[in-house]
Amino acid sequence: MNKLIKSLAVAGITIGSGALTASASSHREAPAIAEDQYVDNTDVYAFLSPTDANKLVIVADYVPLLLPTSGPNFYKFSDNARYEVHIDNNGDAVPDVGYRWTFTSQRKIGTTFLYNVGPVDSIASPNLNVTQTYKLEKVNEKTGATQVIMDNVPVAPWNVGKNSFPNNSYEKVALQAVATANGTTAFAGPRDEPFFVDLHVFDLLGVGGAHTTDGVNVMSLVLEVPITELASNGVRPAAGATGKDSVVGIFASASRPRVRLLRGDRNQDDYGSFVQVSRLGWPLINEVIIPLQDKDKYNRTSPRNDVSNFGAYILDPEVPKLLNLVLNANCPATPPEGRTDIVGLLGPNTTKAADLLRININQGQTSAMSHFPNGRALTDDVTDTLLTVACNNGGAISDGVDGNDKAFTTTFPYLASPHSGNP
Amino acid sequence: MNRLLPLILLVAACGKAEHHAPPTPTPTPTPALEHATQADLAQEIVDADRLGTWREVQHRWQGQSLRWTVTRQRVLCGSADDCNVSAFPIQRPAKQGWMPLLSFAGGQFDALATACGSQDPCEVTVEGTLSELEVSPDLPTKVRLSNVRLVTAPTGHVQTAHI
Repeated sequence: MNKLIKSLAVAGITIGSGALTASASSHREAPAIAEDQYVDNTDVYAFLSPTDANKLVIVADYVPLLLPTSGPNFYKFSDNARYEVHIDNNGDAVPDVGYRWTFTSQRKIGTTFLYNVGPVDSIASPNLNVTQTYKLEKVNEKTGATQVIMDNVPVAPWNVGKNSFPNNSYEKVALQAVATANGTTAFAGPRDEPFFVDLHVFDLLGVGGAHTTDGVNVMSLVLEVPITELASNGVRPAAGATGKDSVVGIFASASRPRVRLLRGDRNQDDYGSFVQVSRLGWPLINEVIIPLQDKDKYNRTSPRNDVSNFGAYILDPEVPKLLNLVLNANCPATPPEGRTDIVGLLGPNTTKAADLLRININQGQTSAMSHFPNGRALTDDVTDTLLTVACNNGGAISDGVDGNDKAFTTTFPYLASPHSGNP
Repeated sequence: MNRLLPLILLVAACGKAEHHAPPTPTPTPTPALEHATQADLAQEIVDADRLGTWREVQHRWQGQSLRWTVTRQRVLCGSADDCNVSAFPIQRPAKQGWMPLLSFAGGQFDALATACGSQDPCEVTVEGTLSELEVSPDLPTKVRLSNVRLVTAPTGHVQTAHI
């Protein structure tokens, strides 16, 4: 935990209250969203770009735990949903800037069951039968005004296998899905699942180092944006600034149209305004802090009301009690004031406490400083960090899984290439 | 006679109905809940989850003047505009997630801050109006007390309270 405080201090982040004494994210975490996996937001990452410290990288992952051999209808994004990231830049936990992806699927040949009808050597290959494109918009969340950043951008294809992408050509094709416009770079498509955890944690905390997320993929949205596009008034705070606008708070969400009409004689129709069905800022909040009775409610609500709605769960989390019960972890009892230390982490630099992934955007910040809870790097072992924080017994608690199965890359989109369906 | 009695009663009842217009329905006054605690509200919410009595709970509680003893943590109650308090003692453990949002009467946030001083957490008794109560099977419970005044400071010093 001292490591955690040091990393915060290096990042110029102060926590509100409470002395901290020590150091599986959101996959299928709530009953309703587990029935609608295409819009299940699994993880959010945010870090200063390792190639340009004037830019922020945001990764929002959806559709959990995907087997590479999932044909013939391989995973994609839903055409009937909005995928969004929201950024609060003044510390009130209300989004100011947003980015919205909407997807459209295409099919070239209807008379085959194949995803691709021959080897694919480029993202524009005529052999790529089933494709998807997207529109990326920037949203002024105060006014609702939108600005199209890019449109008709291809989604990277599924890594079907060695016959479809011979000579290890998949990644070359996938990277053709990287698009840049007005300084913003974007990628959408399947990637190796970057979250590492022993999911046996849900078998009465039976963790023991099993790499349960190895070998699976996820659908990733990756954005690299000039920080001035996100900062309050478009100005990046000076080095060492500690005001509420020295950090931005990020959460991702997915929304569905309010009404779906199923028809017996044709495809369904969707109507109405969009309703948020999934959201995520920090890893594991809805997964292990919010109890079953409120998990779906959490996904419907906004971070600005997190304390009013769920604050009592954060002040007295269940995890340390379970760690004591099952693992004899000797986590101390919740102090009379509650876990105000965790609340402090959720509201750094006097920002309003909320489930937002906050990251310092001051000048001088670098990628090396972007480690959870100051943002979240792909390599961060957030499970260990959060178990350790939750237990708070002065030692470290680990699930025994300390890294991803594949190395992350040093260039955009930073996530590892997805596992092949037929390696 | 035993056979005739019900008939006579029925005729009498009908006769009454003919001579008197049905009374205008008047809303049942909601009994005051000045002595009801947050534990009572929590229990009614738990019951509503089982019985579907969400509207009744809201009707019964919304707008009531209440006196509750709550716990203020400074990190969650940093200003008059942004103050949540714990409705229940920590270490219960938490059975519900909601934390009442307080909107203070003039000067009362400062009174609270002064009364609590450096005590954190700080248990206080407050009075206020339950101005906002959202209870439903679909959204989290949300509780706002408005016109909040400090009644009893942690030292036991009694404040003047008018609601």
